[in-house]
Amino acid sequence: MTVAEFGKAVKDLKIKRAPLTKKQKREARWGFFFLSPWMIGFLLFYLLPMIASFAFSLTKFNPAVPDETVYIGFTNWIRAILRDEEVLLSFVRTIHFAAISLPVGMIFALFLAILLNSEHVIGKTIYRTLFYMPSMIPLVATVLIWNGVLNEYTGWINIIIERVTGITAVGTEGLRWLNDPDLVYIAYTMFGLWGVGNAMIIFLAAVQGVPTELYEAAEIDGASWFRRLFSVTLPLITPVIFYQLVLSVIASLQYFLAPFVLNQGTGSPEGKTRFYMVYFYKQSFSFFNMGYGATLAWLMFIVALIITIILFGTAKYWVYYATEEK
Amino acid sequence: MRKLLYVISILIIASMLVTACQPAEAPETEEPEVEAPEVEEPEAPEAEVPEDVEEPEEEPEAEEPADGVVEIRWFVGLGAGSDAGTFEAQQAVVDGFNATHDDIELVLEIVDNEVAYDTLATQIAAGNAPDIVGPVGVRGRDTFYGAWLDLQPLIDSTGYDLSDFDPALVDFYNIEGQGQIGIPFASYPSFMIYNKDLFDEAGAAYPPAAYGEPYVWADGTESEWNMETLKELAMFMTVDANGNDATMEEFDPENIVQFGFQNQWTDPRGVGTFFGAGSFLAEDGETAQIPEEWQAAWKWTYDGWWTDWFIPNGPYGGAEFLQHGGGPFGSGNLAMVHNHTWFVAPWAIDGSFNFDFAATPSYNGTVTSKMHADTFQIPAGTDSPEEAFTVLAYMLSPEIAPQLLEIYGAQPARLSLQEGYFETYMENNYPGMEFNTNIIVDSVAYADNPNHESWMPSFLETTDKYNEFWNYLANTPDLDVDAEIEGLREDLQGIFDAYFEANP
Repeated sequence: MTVAEFGKAVKDLKIKRAPLTKKQKREARWGFFFLSPWMIGFLLFYLLPMIASFAFSLTKFNPAVPDETVYIGFTNWIRAILRDEEVLLSFVRTIHFAAISLPVGMIFALFLAILLNSEHVIGKTIYRTLFYMPSMIPLVATVLIWNGVLNEYTGWINIIIERVTGITAVGTEGLRWLNDPDLVYIAYTMFGLWGVGNAMIIFLAAVQGVPTELYEAAEIDGASWFRRLFSVTLPLITPVIFYQLVLSVIASLQYFLAPFVLNQGTGSPEGKTRFYMVYFYKQSFSFFNMGYGATLAWLMFIVALIITIILFGTAKYWVYYATEEK
Repeated sequence: MRKLLYVISILIIASMLVTACQPAEAPETEEPEVEAPEVEEPEAPEAEVPEDVEEPEEEPEAEEPADGVVEIRWFVGLGAGSDAGTFEAQQAVVDGFNATHDDIELVLEIVDNEVAYDTLATQIAAGNAPDIVGPVGVRGRDTFYGAWLDLQPLIDSTGYDLSDFDPALVDFYNIEGQGQIGIPFASYPSFMIYNKDLFDEAGAAYPPAAYGEPYVWADGTESEWNMETLKELAMFMTVDANGNDATMEEFDPENIVQFGFQNQWTDPRGVGTFFGAGSFLAEDGETAQIPEEWQAAWKWTYDGWWTDWFIPNGPYGGAEFLQHGGGPFGSGNLAMVHNHTWFVAPWAIDGSFNFDFAATPSYNGTVTSKMHADTFQIPAGTDSPEEAFTVLAYMLSPEIAPQLLEIYGAQPARLSLQEGYFETYMENNYPGMEFNTNIIVDSVAYADNPNHESWMPSFLETTDKYNEFWNYLANTPDLDVDAEIEGLREDLQGIFDAYFEANP
């Protein structure tokens, strides 16, 4: 569409648009009235703090001595982007971990959803409840439980592995889940699997929403179970997969709690768990470099925004909306 | 729809950028707007004119002018006092104060230690600082470096009597550039605490009950009570699931069920000070150093973790058999611990096993007792410094201080309260049990100087760096400890250099 065509279309739209009747205006006012709590909340608790945090990013601000706050322009931004190598390193660690945990988490949740939708599984309701239950446990408790379960000396996973396979799994020569740089991301991914209940429920709802006549038609055509999965189920639930993907990517970028609870953000082992948000937390709330912390938060916001935009850009190639006009 | 989302996102960011870049952000200019002109008055006397303290009519306006009662907020959480068992007793002190003062209402705010630092920082930044903070240790004090009120004008104007305190302890709170930011309240010397039941079970003699005494082994031979002897004893007290101790060849280090010793709940500075006092900051005030004694202590500890096996390393620290509110020693599966008086309280050692106190061993003939010191401090941002000082004086008074000391398990800073204090304290907390409380008083004579919690450049960042180093050692066997120590020194030097560059 050329610019001229676009202008004409807009003009046509204006012409076509009828003035609002009194009733419509009244309804619109009521609409705004009912929306206003959210809008006020958004302004007060999201937009204004964001504006304030940007202002902080232009200052050297220590909340313990606020009187010494000074305006320093874009010094924090220059430091974060050009000078502080830990910013890039922590971001790379975050992406590295996300590259492992995100696909595993999503595939596992989808696998459970498909499994628990199967007509061959007996006691589906019980299994759904059981798989969902761990996600109701606070994450801090989950992490602490797993810390015990994965303990290299007394954790039952190592004890079972050693007794069942005969492989040396217990002790310093064994599987040091939380202290071996090569294993720690796998261990953290295992924590995450405990929390797939929410994603599983959403996938389950999506799978159950696929029209049965499509399966019947596919069966009549002789499609196998795998064929039906890849040609009917997955394409039809891609909007939900896309939704989960966006949420999971953002959650991965904000990954913080497990390393903070397990090692107070020391980055153990060998700095592998010093993720971006851990570094942000340390700068802001451990070192009280609130101005620099605000800069790091803004950088992450920008990165997350860019990644989200890219994801939305790719959606047209793989997300199928049944009601969408092509 | 998606295009609309893009546009909205970009508009939001643009609006924020435009708004944030407006030049009206200087924090200094905001102060007069927020505070009414008369609020400036209470700020002036705290810094310069002590005589103004005498004008009671002017001051209460800052808080509650309606009925003339000034609210003073007491913030607890930076040190002791945020354990549930202490709440009621602290509230009783508050109630006692309010019952005897009509013009001031004291309000207690207890914040969990995990979030207390951030909470206080946020309150100070928001201009909502509490009026009294404490108990505050050295770490708490230095975390908020520059945020405390100089009490000297108030001490002078009220004629506060400091003669009942050790002058050196008073001077401990006189910080260059900040003034007299505290008055001594309590000290917590460190010493050895041992599980008598485990020693009895092993048939081992108890550690020496007095400084200068040797350790007498079960066969009657004597050894100087030093770090080497402690190591041997601790290895003997370290036991695996088969009942072998760590001195035996059959000992299974992958299956330990009882450990011999730990410097519990301290950091590398505390562990280093076990062997001798020192500082990361050299005498020139700029160079990062790792004192020889600290290096020796760290290597001794590292070997204790990974080759001699008498100290629980990082992974063992997470093992179930050592979990307890009072840490490994509280679990009853650790024979000896080196800790402070604040650890000797029912919340940490619940009395389910017999325990007693012993002398800290020597290193190269010198004994060093780590010393913690607490006080209550007044943030510089308080609106009511005189009233806060009234509360502070009440808390530190010979009548009230013992109540608070009892809550926190502290040794009184007031000389007049020290005699017989711990006998009473132990009898109240562990009735019917007998303790060698002399060792607590005697340990004060070996207090570390410089103190292991002394100020360092970039205090928080430096602390974070050495804790990272320590965590790595505690969780990683087969390291070249000397190389790691040198790496730490270089890292600290980098932090110090950056600090002095920013603060010439």
